Amino acid sequence: MTLDRVNTNGGEGLTLRSQMSELARICPWIEYLAKRDAISEETQFAINLCLEEALSNIMRHGYAEAPNCEIEVRYSMPQTGVFLFIIEDEAPSFNPVTALEPPIPVSLEDSTTGGQGIRLLKHFADTLKYEATPTGNRLSISFLSAAGMKR
Amino acid sequence: MQLAMEELDGGVTKVILDGRMDIAGAESVDLKMNVVAGSKKFVLLDMQKVSFIGSMGLRSLFSVARTIKSRGGKIVLFGPDELVEKVLKTSGLDALVPIHHEFQTAIAALQ
Repeated sequence: MTLDRVNTNGGEGLTLRSQMSELARICPWIEYLAKRDAISEETQFAINLCLEEALSNIMRHGYAEAPNCEIEVRYSMPQTGVFLFIIEDEAPSFNPVTALEPPIPVSLEDSTTGGQGIRLLKHFADTLKYEATPTGNRLSISFLSAAGMKR
Repeated sequence: MQLAMEELDGGVTKVILDGRMDIAGAESVDLKMNVVAGSKKFVLLDMQKVSFIGSMGLRSLFSVARTIKSRGGKIVLFGPDELVEKVLKTSGLDALVPIHHEFQTAIAALQ
């Protein structure tokens, strides 16, 4: 597995172009990290889900589907059993932590609106932290190992 | 993601999904799902082999269910694994489309 070198404050990661096809790189990367760092299947599922939702939102809305922008995803284990992913983009400011979720549909007829992505991100991440950067957004998503997880 | 269909007794169509219902997976079966929604009336959506589902997969399920219901039909979700079911419950889909883990009760719900 070849990983992009991300010359930041440590960790490892991927630099994705803002095309939906790039999302296919996430799952094999997470599988690799899971084997190496003993990430449980349940946590792996949550990681894949949250990264897909966060990254697709950036591509679709943040970058308005412009194909040649970049998104950095960095991974680290700040402590045993904590898996931290930091996503940085250069899109207009958007804070998914405070973004309102549409109400859960009460009928199938009401279910035409989207918004499930934000709901899934908030429900399946153990912690979410947003910071605006001088050029865009930084979203930190952490997942806890089985001991002490909220899911 | 793969989609296969099987016609069962009593006018029930079993739709078998196999794979990841991520963005790419949902797109790959979108056309076939629309055909099912527009042509079948009693649908058992077999999710036993669905290993992942995200918001695009949910959107597809909501859309199929909405269309089938608007045509006077019924749909049930059969056998999602624990993690997939958590996603379905988080979205609220489980309150609108029944989830069953026993085949006979799933079939009975379509009668």
